[in-house]
Amino acid sequence: MLVVPCPNCGPRNASEFRYAGEYRPRPHPSQDVTDDEWATYLYTRSNTLGVHTEWWFHTSGCGLWFLAERHTKTNAFVKSYLWGAT
Amino acid sequence: MSDPTPTRLPERPGEIIDRTRQVSFTFNGEIYPAHPGDTIASALSAAGVRTFSRSFKYHRPRGLLCGAGHCPNCLVQVGDEPNVRSCQRAVEQDMDVNPQNAWPSLDQDVMSLAGLGDRFMPVGFYYKTFMKPSQLWPHYEQALRNAAGLGVVDQGTPWGAYDKQYLHGDVAVIGGGPSGISAALEAAEAGANVLLFDNGPQLGGHLRWRSDSDDTSRKDLLEKVQSARIEVYTDTDVLGWYQDNWLAAVRGDRLFKARAKAIVFATGTIEVPTLFDNNDLPGILLGSAVQRLLNLYGVAPGRRVVVVTANRHGWDLAADLLAAGVELAAIVDERRTRDHPASVDLAAAGVPIYNGSALTGARGRKAVSAAVISEIDDSGNPIGPGRVLSCDTIALSTGWEPALDLLYTAGGKSVYQENRAEMSVDPVPDGLYVAGSANGADLLQARVEDGRVAGRLAAAHLELTEPPPQQELDKLALELSKEERRTSDRISAPDGKKRFVCFCEDVTDVDVDTAIAEGYDSVELLKRYSTISMGPCQGKMCSVNALRLCSRIKGQSVQETGRTTSRPPTTPVYLGVLAGQNMEPVQVSSIHDWHLDRGASMMVAGLWLRPEHYGDATAEVNNVRNRVGLIDVSPLGKFQLTGPGAPDLLERLYINQWRNLRKGRVRYGVMCNDEGVVLDDGVCARVDDDTWYLSTTSTGAGTAFQWIQWWLQSGWGGNVHLTDMTEIYSAFNLAGPHSREVLRKLTKRDLGNKAFPYMRIRRTRVAGVSCRVWRIGFTGELSYEIHVPSSAGLHVWEALMEAGGEFGIAPFGVEAQRVLRLEKGHLIVGQDTDAMSDPLGADMAWAVKLEKPDFLGKRSLERISVDGPHQRLVGFEMTRKHIVPEEGLQIVKPQENGKLNIIGWISSSRFSPTLKKSIGLCWLPSDIGSEPGATFTIYQDGRLEEARVHHGPFFDPGGERLKS
Ligand code: FES
Ligand SMILES: [Zn+2]
Repeated sequence: MLVVPCPNCGPRNASEFRYAGEYRPRPHPSQDVTDDEWATYLYTRSNTLGVHTEWWFHTSGCGLWFLAERHTKTNAFVKSYLWGAT
Repeated sequence: MSDPTPTRLPERPGEIIDRTRQVSFTFNGEIYPAHPGDTIASALSAAGVRTFSRSFKYHRPRGLLCGAGHCPNCLVQVGDEPNVRSCQRAVEQDMDVNPQNAWPSLDQDVMSLAGLGDRFMPVGFYYKTFMKPSQLWPHYEQALRNAAGLGVVDQGTPWGAYDKQYLHGDVAVIGGGPSGISAALEAAEAGANVLLFDNGPQLGGHLRWRSDSDDTSRKDLLEKVQSARIEVYTDTDVLGWYQDNWLAAVRGDRLFKARAKAIVFATGTIEVPTLFDNNDLPGILLGSAVQRLLNLYGVAPGRRVVVVTANRHGWDLAADLLAAGVELAAIVDERRTRDHPASVDLAAAGVPIYNGSALTGARGRKAVSAAVISEIDDSGNPIGPGRVLSCDTIALSTGWEPALDLLYTAGGKSVYQENRAEMSVDPVPDGLYVAGSANGADLLQARVEDGRVAGRLAAAHLELTEPPPQQELDKLALELSKEERRTSDRISAPDGKKRFVCFCEDVTDVDVDTAIAEGYDSVELLKRYSTISMGPCQGKMCSVNALRLCSRIKGQSVQETGRTTSRPPTTPVYLGVLAGQNMEPVQVSSIHDWHLDRGASMMVAGLWLRPEHYGDATAEVNNVRNRVGLIDVSPLGKFQLTGPGAPDLLERLYINQWRNLRKGRVRYGVMCNDEGVVLDDGVCARVDDDTWYLSTTSTGAGTAFQWIQWWLQSGWGGNVHLTDMTEIYSAFNLAGPHSREVLRKLTKRDLGNKAFPYMRIRRTRVAGVSCRVWRIGFTGELSYEIHVPSSAGLHVWEALMEAGGEFGIAPFGVEAQRVLRLEKGHLIVGQDTDAMSDPLGADMAWAVKLEKPDFLGKRSLERISVDGPHQRLVGFEMTRKHIVPEEGLQIVKPQENGKLNIIGWISSSRFSPTLKKSIGLCWLPSDIGSEPGATFTIYQDGRLEEARVHHGPFFDPGGERLKS
């Protein structure tokens, strides 16, 4: 089982976490966002082969949402951090 | 009386049976004797039993083959337990053992008469024979199951006591033979916590049954293990390697989940059979199986044995047989050299020795009666006329296959070593090490040394010690490269009889030929088409032979041919072990026991157990409409937001407006995601300036909490704090025309319509307990929702029930509530909405405040509002008033050609006891749904039923009752 590095609790079994997909910055809807841009934000994922940034939630743990950089092929985590901390 | 155990030998050194005691068991209805320590197979062998099972397709008799728990041949049913490997299962007194896959009997199997199976079951038979016509498949399947069954599952077997255990170690060593033990000792010495797994009943690996060492080396190793800090798990199968060195292992009814920082794979080798005519006859055993019978259980495999070999192991075996007094018909060795130390004794004893010769076939009907051997040339082809040696046993010791399946599941890449005719792994992934005979080491000293080095490397990986110096590694590599080859890749030429590549699935060399000729020439396709390696042995007995055969047919190297992907589990496992204990956590409210005492029928709602009704849901509905009822709504999600940032957050989370909500007021709110899909709904109150209190659906509470946290923790959390109050507060809804009178008896607060109107919240003392009381009305009646600290929940609930006695109060459950809300036309998120439902279509357009600068779903709802929603959620009534269409049914539009187009679906439906007619909610295309009174058609049980669109509440459309 994958070991996920929670920035608060340290390395824990993946079964404690909820995985919430690739990180995508949200366009602000009050600005001019075209239908295409909005649809891309909603439905398109980069499906990176390599390191990408993704959301995790420590469900059976501290209850924090955090970002992790993980290699999608080897599953190796580069780092994890709270939002805004990088 | 004849001897019941004709092939039991006099005592053997190292045997593990207790000859001073006897037990008995039944096999196939007959009683057999055994000694404690015997396996079912050893006891049956001692009694001279040769046929253990019938084969899968052709129902040919099969006997012991590997003696090591790898092959399908010795599978039996023990009591209610199917598919037990009799060579691994210890005999117990009165055990009831039966053969499998043999009908009508083990001796006389109708399926094998006249080779019946042959015509019926060509290679790929699943695909060719049984797929067309597909509607006949159920019949084929039934017939196949009867013919092919792998034992019988007893449906009445009680649920076993399965459990699991987590293990943590620095270094895990898989395999407790000499190399595994050495690795474990070395790693422990360096300070590592070591987990040592072995699938045998004791450590020692082949030292337990092979006489290539004196017993002192084993004793010595075991003693050292005992004094070292090593956790030993015997009788434990490691099923697979998973991400980050997570091992699944099973001992009996327990699943181990083991995590280690480094792993040594000292998994040993598996002896494999070869291809020759009639290679499946009972009496043909692998050499290691014979040695196990001989040296562990004191049983002779037969009366006259031909040893066929291509390595030193066959000679070790022959020496053992000679010492045990078993007659040797011959030793047949492919090699031309005769340098084994035992060869002198064997020759002196008059055992015929044929060097440069090989086995080309076996003869016999129910069991082997002769071996056919021939001299071979340098490329292994027979020369000259064959020789027939009469015998009742052929011991095959011609090749080994390193047991690397686990390491493959861990990402190890296989490399076929042509010069040794064996697989190896290169590269081995970081932190993983392979040692011992799995790594090609054969001589005991090399195995020990190889294990030691692997253990040191594993400890060095954890930086507990220095890696071994390079010259030590070089020396070991040199030693290993000088090891004598132990595996022959020779395949005998066919001579008209069946030659089985795969014993589990009865696949012959001809089948492989055919499959490749038909185009299934990649190993993965060949496997799926022929089902080679898909049976109980999972390729352990057959995949290397299949590969060699395939590569020869295609004229390419084994490496080019490649091998099929290994996947866990590498050995069979009980589903019960994987399922674990039957534990499903449930949440119950603070008055759960009260419900049970009142005979409530409980239902599962999300994680909660809730009263569905207390016997008569219709009476409960009527009681709420006419008098007063009380429902436990504790599972509602309850969240508190504090801080000046709360209004900002709410404005973004909900489609509604919040900033203008005044203190003490309540508003209904809807949350959407950015796709504009409805996620949850509930009420939200401004308790005071900086305190907001909101509820969500019961089943969505957990998800809603995570959802809010997500936005809160990613930039929207300024000056606001979220607290989950779901379990802190119990919640009861007091509903019905008399609810005010009931509550009045328990509080001093003015409950008049002026002081406490509809859609307000008040801090109120109820029965002496400070509560939050909402005046809201999901049921459409005057009602008060009382949120009380859970510790006082039962007290307040009982006080309400008592106070309501004179007004005819009765509890009501989820079912009555569903009817009551449906009469009011209120939707339930998740019941009446799905992952496609937006609030514009779901009749909540009034709540959508597109003019807000931002909220979740805004951009998508703007887009949807341009054309308007395609589907609408509306109420309906049935033309035939008593017909209640099932929830989930399709709404159809009959076409001219008689076909029915699906245009919508029923999301809720009930018979309304108040209105005495069937009502419901459904999704319809906007054009039909927008027109009250429009008719549409529901498809139910092959009939078409007519229904009419209804807008707004069915009952009390003006809402007078709840505002009264
Ligand atoms: S003989 Fe028992 S599994 Fe092979
Ligand atoms: Zn955490």
